Parts: sequence; structure tokens; C-alpha cells
Amino acid sequence: MGDEENRRRFVQLALPHAGAAYNLARWLTQNEQDAQDVAQEAMMRALRYIGNFHGDNARPWLLQIVRHACFSWLKENRPAERTFLDDDDDSLQEIAAPASDEPQSIALRKAERREINQAIAALPVAYREVLVLRELEDLSYTDIARIAEIPVGTVMSRLSRARGLMRIALVPGARPVLRTVPRAVNGGNAS
Amino acid sequence: MKQNIDSRRIDAFVDGELGLESQLEIEREMRVDADVRERVEAARHLRAAVRENADYHEIPAALRGRFDALAAPEPMPDAAPKASRPARPPRAAARVERWFGWRPAAASLALVGIGALTMNMATVQTSRDDRLLDEVVSSHVRSTLGQHLVDVASSDHHTVKPWLSSKLDFSPPVSELHLPDCEFVGGRVDYLDGRPVAALVYRKGRHIVNAFVWPSAAKDSKADFSTERGFQVARWSQGAMTHWVVSDVNREEFDAIVRAIQSAESAK
Repeated sequence: MGDEENRRRFVQLALPHAGAAYNLARWLTQNEQDAQDVAQEAMMRALRYIGNFHGDNARPWLLQIVRHACFSWLKENRPAERTFLDDDDDSLQEIAAPASDEPQSIALRKAERREINQAIAALPVAYREVLVLRELEDLSYTDIARIAEIPVGTVMSRLSRARGLMRIALVPGARPVLRTVPRAVNGGNAS
Repeated sequence: MKQNIDSRRIDAFVDGELGLESQLEIEREMRVDADVRERVEAARHLRAAVRENADYHEIPAALRGRFDALAAPEPMPDAAPKASRPARPPRAAARVERWFGWRPAAASLALVGIGALTMNMATVQTSRDDRLLDEVVSSHVRSTLGQHLVDVASSDHHTVKPWLSSKLDFSPPVSELHLPDCEFVGGRVDYLDGRPVAALVYRKGRHIVNAFVWPSAAKDSKADFSTERGFQVARWSQGAMTHWVVSDVNREEFDAIVRAIQSAESAK
């Protein structure tokens, strides 16, 4: 009977967000087959724990499970991807601020679909996830904070940093320096 | 030029995630500082470019099938190795189960519909208006008490209108009112009369004015004024929209505000 109820709730609450679950897994694992495996595992967990969910919006709840499954997978399979980020606010603030004389808007107009996708794919995973959750899933900062298990202030910092890196990547002629650690980028920009 | 507003605030501003005070502060900065203006423009541009161009990866049909199978009332739904084709019965069963899962909701909706129709329409209308009056005033009071006065804080209707349209299934008329000492604060999505509605918020002196709007089939009508728990309330239909305005300003100022909203809309 409990199983029956769980399945009913799973169909009503979790299945409608299966598309979002796959999209997030796809962006975090960067590969279709792995995304399918991870999303499947997440959905099975969601079914098992749906009884613990008491809210009206299951999307952040489900995406938190997916995100968790993705990070476990990354830990196993892509240990190098798990960059440890320094969320120190002051350093982030300096780096995230684009140089004021940068012709950002003009440069961006030329950005193509492929370049934008590549730029997102090249972001360190902790930045990539907040950007995907914000721009593709249109989630609020509060929901993103819950999914990524970080404070809202850190969501703001990472999102801003992610967009700063996107800008750098999309400016024609700029070196693709996205994998460089923040301090190096900072040093390189000093004029 | 120095970066006196950090990028996080510019980004949060563009995302509509800043509190009212900060939102207005950046709008002020934008008016006086071309650099801030340019950075907001750039942030908006990037946001739009990413949203338009980034791939939203569609879930493969086979995976969706496996998810559906998970919900089937069969033990060990994932026992079959991935290579084997998904068993038919669980998927069919999942579909049946899904249908039954939704049926009670559909049935109760239908019942509500039939119930409403069979009741005496006049009684329904009166009690509906009374209930709505109560809902509208309660909503106004909640908005002034809590943190949640506006979802999108902006004194610019070009910001508020698209935001509301994107959250609602209609595009509400939005106007800044040109009245002395009256400021347009922003908008939020509220829930009235069993549906999401647009709430536009104005500040008149120290008083808050909530103007609720949602689509209706009613013909245009003149404003009907009343007071409820000491609040001024006006309701009317205009341009296929129902309007309710609530505030604790005095009657004279309230009349002026209602007239301003009506004329702003009829000028469109």
C-alpha cells in the first residue's frame, strides 16, 4: 500500500520534471550515456524517497537528488573536474567585474549558438551548475541555493563569476582561459 | 572609472533577485552613471544570449520509457539489464496507473464545475463577489505586512510588464501613474479568485496601493467603490480585464488613483 502511494506520488510529482532531471545530468556529466545512467539512478532514488517529500514544488527537490547523483558520479569518474572553489567573496568580486573599457556588448552580438554552448561546457562544474539552473531551468536564487547546498550569497558569487567567464570566452580573440584557476586570471588581467 | 557596484549586484538586478531598496538604488545609479547603465545592458545581453542559444537537452525517449516503467506496480523495475528491451507489461501498466492517478483530480474538477452551474447563478455571483472582496483585502494586507510586496521591483513599466507577462497566461496593462507624490514600486504575481493574477504596487505618500488585474469576459463597467475593514476598495471591468484596487489612503486620493489607472489604460 505504501509502495502504491509512493508510485502514485512519483508519477504526479517527480515524473513531470524528468526532462529537467536529464538536462541537468547532461550538462553536468557532459555526455549522453552517462547522463542517462545518472538520471536513471536519481529517479530511482526519488521514487524511494518520495515519501519524505512534503512540499508543493518537487522540481528543486528532484534536481537536488540529480545534482547529488551527478557529483557522486564525477567523484568516481572525473575526479579532476571537481575543482575546489575558493568562494572568498572579495577575490571573486574583483575577478567577476569585467574591465570597464571592455567592449562586451559589441563582442557578444557575434556569439554563435555553438560558441555559447562550448563556453558553458568549458565552465568549471560548480559554475556550470548554477548557470544551467538559472538560465536553462529558470530557478530562483533560493532554489539554486537549496539544490547546490550553498548559501544564497554564494549562488550570487558563482553566477556572477560564471557570467564573467562566459564574457571572457565569448569576446573574439580572447584566449580560452576558462580552466585557469581564478588567481591566474586575476594576475593576467593586471595592467 | 571605478567599479563601485559589484558584478554580483548587477547580475542579481538583471535576474530580478534584489530587494526593493537595492533594485531602486541600481535604477538610480543607471540614471546618473553611464558605466552602470552599460554594465546592466551587457548583463542583460549575455543573459538573453545564453537563454536563447544554450542547448536544452531533450530527454531520450528510451530513458523516458524507463522512467515510466519505474512507476509501474512491478517489483524490481530495474532488474532487467539495460541491453534488453523494456518489458511491455510494466509500461502499459504505468500508463494505466498514470491515468488512474490523475482521475480523482479530474473528476473532482468536473464535479466542481457541474456544482457551480447548477447553483442559482445570482447567489453564486453575490457570494463570489463578497468572497473576492475578502480575498483582495486580505491579499493587500498580507503584502503590506510581510516581505513580499513585489516580485519585480522597478519603477519602469517596461521592466515590470514583460516580467509579469512571462509569469502569467496574460499580459496585464501596466502603467506608472503620473500623480503627485505617487510612486510605482513594481509588481508581483498573486493568487485570487482561484487563479494567478497580476498585482501592481504603488506608493502614495506612506500608503501602499495594490492594483490587481486579471482577464475576464465581463463588459466594461464603471468603478464600484466600497470599504472593507477600513480599506478603500474599487472594482471595475475594462478592456476585458477585471480590476480591483485596494488601499488605506483617504477616499479622495483613492478616487484620484482609480481615475488615473482607468485613464492610463483607456489611453492605450
